[in-house]
Parts: sequence; C-alpha cells; structure tokens
Amino acid sequence: MADILLEANGVTKRFGGLVAVNQASITVEKGKITGLIGPNGAGKTTFFNLISGFMNPDEGDIIYKGQRINGMRPSNICKLGMTRTFQIVKPFPELSVLENVMIGAFNNTANTARARQKALDVLELVEYSEFASISAGALPVAGRKRVEVAKALATEPELLLLDEVLAGLTPTEMWGMIEVLGKVRDAGISIVIVEHVMAVIMSLCDHIVVINNGENIASGSPQEISDNPAVLEAYLGADFNANEVMG
Amino acid sequence: MYSRLKTSYIVYGVVLLVLLSLPIYAESDFIVALMPDGLSGSALLHVGILIFMFAYLSSSWNILGGFAGQLSLGHAAFFGIGAYTSSLFYVHFGLTPWIGMIGGAGLAALVGYGLGFVSYKYGLKGPFFALVTIAFAEILRLLFLYFDFTGGPLGLLIPLASEYTFWEYQFLEKEPYYYIALGLMLFGILISAIVSTSKFGYYLRAIRESEEAAEALGIHSMRNKMHAVALSAAMTALGGTFYAQYTQYIVPDDVIKIALSIEIILFAVIGGSGLVMGPVIGTFLLVPVGEMSRVIFEGGGAGASLVALINENIPAGEKFGKYMDYLSSGGGGGLAILLYGVILIVVCLVLPRGVLPAFKKLGAKMEQRNG
Ligand SMILES: Nc1ncnc2c1ncn2[C@@H]1O[C@H](COP(=O)(O)OP(=O)(O)OP(=O)(O)O)[C@@H](O)[C@H]1O
Ligand SMILES: [Mg+2]
Repeated sequence: MADILLEANGVTKRFGGLVAVNQASITVEKGKITGLIGPNGAGKTTFFNLISGFMNPDEGDIIYKGQRINGMRPSNICKLGMTRTFQIVKPFPELSVLENVMIGAFNNTANTARARQKALDVLELVEYSEFASISAGALPVAGRKRVEVAKALATEPELLLLDEVLAGLTPTEMWGMIEVLGKVRDAGISIVIVEHVMAVIMSLCDHIVVINNGENIASGSPQEISDNPAVLEAYLGADFNANEVMG
Repeated sequence: MYSRLKTSYIVYGVVLLVLLSLPIYAESDFIVALMPDGLSGSALLHVGILIFMFAYLSSSWNILGGFAGQLSLGHAAFFGIGAYTSSLFYVHFGLTPWIGMIGGAGLAALVGYGLGFVSYKYGLKGPFFALVTIAFAEILRLLFLYFDFTGGPLGLLIPLASEYTFWEYQFLEKEPYYYIALGLMLFGILISAIVSTSKFGYYLRAIRESEEAAEALGIHSMRNKMHAVALSAAMTALGGTFYAQYTQYIVPDDVIKIALSIEIILFAVIGGSGLVMGPVIGTFLLVPVGEMSRVIFEGGGAGASLVALINENIPAGEKFGKYMDYLSSGGGGGLAILLYGVILIVVCLVLPRGVLPAFKKLGAKMEQRNG
C-alpha cells in the first residue's frame, strides 16, 4: 500500500438547493501528480475550497496525513504542509513579485533576509527572477499565474493544490509552466492539479479523478480514464481533442 | 537605488539636526522677525510640539490603517485611554505618568485586542470595522462624561507638581516637552521601520492586499490583525499621556473627538499611508499649513465684510492692498478651513497615493537623468 497523503471521503457541500459537491472522494498518494477533472461547474474549485479549509463541508471527512482537518483554518492547514493556488489568481497587487513570494517564504522563517533568499530561489525555480522588482498588479496573466505558483511553493508545501494554473496561457507559456511543474514534482512535492487541457492532464498525471455534477464518475490511470465511456459522455460536446488544444 | 536611499537619509539627518537645535535659536531676533506679528519663539516650539505629537499619532495609526489596511476612525479612543489612565493614576495615587503611561498603553492594547476580536470574529471588514471603531470611541467618550471618577464633563485637572522634575513629567518651560515630543516621534518612526521590514509587517501588507491569499500562505489573518490593533492602540495611548501632561487638563470632548481621529488619518493619507515616513511627511506639510492659515485668516476676527470689499468701486491696486489688510487683520473666519480643505482635495486628486511616493518617483527620475 502506497503512502497516502490526503484522503477526502464522501464530501458534500450544498449552496442552498444546489449540491456543488456530492459525496465526492479523492485519494492522493505521496510523490504523485493527481489530476482532478470534470466539465465546467462540476465542483472542482469547490472541492479545493473544502480541502484547503476555505469552506466547511456539510458532510464527509478530510484526512491529511492521518489527521482530520474539517473546519480547520486555511492558515493552519498550510502550516501542516498543504497549500493551494486560486483559479482566479490572488496576487498582492501593490507589492513586488519578490515581496509576494517572500510572504509565502515567511511560512518557515521569521528572518527577513532568509525569506528573501528563499523567495529568490523559488523565483529561480519558476524562471521568473527577472521580474522580481515589478509590482504584481502590473503583470500579464501568465506572470500572475507564475507568481501564484511561486507564492505557494515558497511555503515549502508537501502537497500543492493547483487550480487551473495553465488557463489563459499561450502554448509557449503553457509549456514553460509544465516544465516548472515537472521540476516541482522532481523536488518531491505532491500535486493535485485541476485542469481543462487534456493533453497536459494525460501526460502529467499519475492518477486522475473525474467528477461531474459534484459526484465521482471515474478514477484511474490516464489510460483507464481516456477509455472510460462515462468520462467521454460527461465531456460530450466539450473539446476532447487534446492535439488540437496543444496545437 | 542605493544612492537614492543615501540622499533621503541625508535629508532626514539634516532635518533632524535642525529640529534638535531649534530651541537654541527659537528666540533669536532673526526667527522672531520671520514670525507673524505678536508671536514669539515659544509659539514656534508649540507648533513643533504639535507637529511631533501628530506625526507620532499618525504613525501609530498607520500601523493598523496603513500597513494592515484596517480603517480605524476611532483612534481618539485609545488616545483618551492613554490620557486618562496615566492622569487618574497620578491624581489618585501620585504615580508618575512615566509609569502610568505604560499602564495606559497596556490597557489600550487589551481594549484593542478585545475590539479586534469582537470585530473580526464576526467578520466585520472595511467600512463595517470603521463603523465599529467610531461607535466604540463615541461610547467611550460618553462613559467618560458620565462617570464621576473621570471628572465627568468637567474633566481632569492635573495638579501641579511641587517640584518640576523629569520624573514628574511636568515642566515650566516648553523645551522639555519639545524634546519629549520629538523623542516620541522618533520612537514612532523606529517602531514603524521595524514593523515594516519584519515578518509581521509583510504579513500585515499581505492581509491588506488579499486576506484569502494571505490565509492560503499560512497567515492567521485574524490573529495578525488583532496584534496590529493592539500595537497601534498602545502607541496611540502613549501619545495621550503626553498630551495630558502638556496641557495639564483633559476633558472627554477634547481628547476623544472624531476630529482628532480624522486628522491623524489625513496626515498619513496625504503623506503616504502604509509607508514608514508617510505620516511624518504628511504632518510636517499639513500642520504648518493649518496653523498658518489660522493665524493669517483668523488672527483677530475684525468685522470687515469681504463681500462689501469685493463690490467696492476702487482701483485694482488699492483693492489688493485692502484685501491684504482684511486678511492680516483677521477677517473671514471660515476661510482657513476652506483653504485647508481645498489643499487636501488638490493633493488627493493630484497625488492619490500621497506625497512621499511622488517624491520617490521624482528622485528616481532625476537619478536616471544623471546617469
Ligand atoms: N460560493 C458559492 N455560492 C453558490 N454557488 C456556488 C459557489 N461556488 C460555486 N458555486 C456553484 O457550485 C457549482 C460548482 O462550481 P465550481 O466553481 O466548484 O466548479 P468548477 O468545477 O471549479 O468549474 P470551472 O471548471 O468552471 O472552474 C457551480 O454550479 C457554481 O455555480
Ligand atoms: Mg473552478
């Protein structure tokens, strides 16, 4: 049995009459990249919000490293080693790129010089050092996504939840980001990634969980998922041609 | 970058030297000749004391309002807590205000934690937090008016010490107050600089920019905001004790007034809120303008009518002379406020981030031009 980092079991979240996440489950193994996919409005972001403590589940358990973390503050969950990014990126706009990343780096040190050094290292890793002194608010989409990932990485997470960090990027920018994610994985950080670009999901992920209307409809290896009729049906009408997406 | 930093340090250093030595030449013929009629060098020291005190208060507010972006419109409450705590200890127990002020600061910090806890627990943010702070200050003012032990509406007269010593925090001359106020201001700058470059300061700025993003990165936003309220409150309370010792008489309507809460915000915003030197620069610009316009426009309050003067049918040159007479004789009561307001509006429109960021930009440009 592999090392399990995160396990969410039978998680439900209702918004009034709408059940955004319905008895959903996900298991994340250490050192792996796990894909969480599903059509628009499937409940992926809500699921992330529940796992990372930004929302409280109505039902179900979220177990991180053997500890039940339902209802825990996001900051405390981050302290346990799980950090997320936001689909709608949330930079600190008035601060420089370096300062944005330093704020993440302070998660493990109270020393400003050390936080700065850590932030510079992370910017090096995500290949964004040359923009260190620019205001985060002045960056284009691709830059904001990089900073979003860099901030999260600077907290030195064991598990990184990435919500559509490739959305809105040109193919070149996208491959740059994919390279970064490969480096992150090689650094031993486990990843859960929400993404619509199938070619990326298929090539990057070790394991994939598919949800639709808030419910699990499939899970397995990329090969198993692409052969699964239920998945194809959920995406019917959606662009499932990976080659076309990637140019 | 490096040379620009150095230039600004030189400017600050020179200004500090001038301020440190001001009491020595405040009474010199040269300075007195420069002052408006009938004002002495000690008036100059008085303005200096006001500036230092407001710069300090504004810096204290800036830690909460500027760094953490939590708009407090009720800082006069903490000012009042400081003024009353040290004064009550002195009046009733003869405790020196130097120790009493620590009690005042501690009490203000506790109250700040309580206020922060209640507000943030119930998710009161932005304008709602601002309303809570106003309400809190108003309630506190009414309580101070109501109770007997605070002296009620008559206020608290601080009894004269039998001897004027440093330990009593009472002085006959203005100079000691001048240097204490200057020390307070430097203390405020020091604390701001420490906060600004520390983890705590980075966390407060992060919370200001996006509380959710801050939480995701491991920042306990509520706890950090509460620390900011408490620190800012404690610092403000120290200013309250100074005010009580300087004026020797405090009443609730004077120390816990909304105008005070607003004024210290204006100084910070005009100078550049969220920056270490922003509140100081704002105060150094605005207090003299306010005092000058008061002296010029409200000096004696002679009853000439401006409208009549404008309508008078005389040559333009003569009219101009009469305008000047009118102004210097102290006509036009509300003009001072009006002028002050116009200056504020113009600065806000032209420099929405405050004066200091504009200075910095200018400095950077000049540096570029010089190679
Ligand atoms: N705070 C909220 N209040 C009410 N409804 C919400 C809220 N957040 C999400 N929803 C609804 O829950 C459903 C799931 O939304 P969610 O954002 O989780 O989907 P998603 O899978 O992330 O979609 P996308 O791929 O477009 O990002 C949607 O119908 C959405 O409108
Ligand atoms: Mg989403």
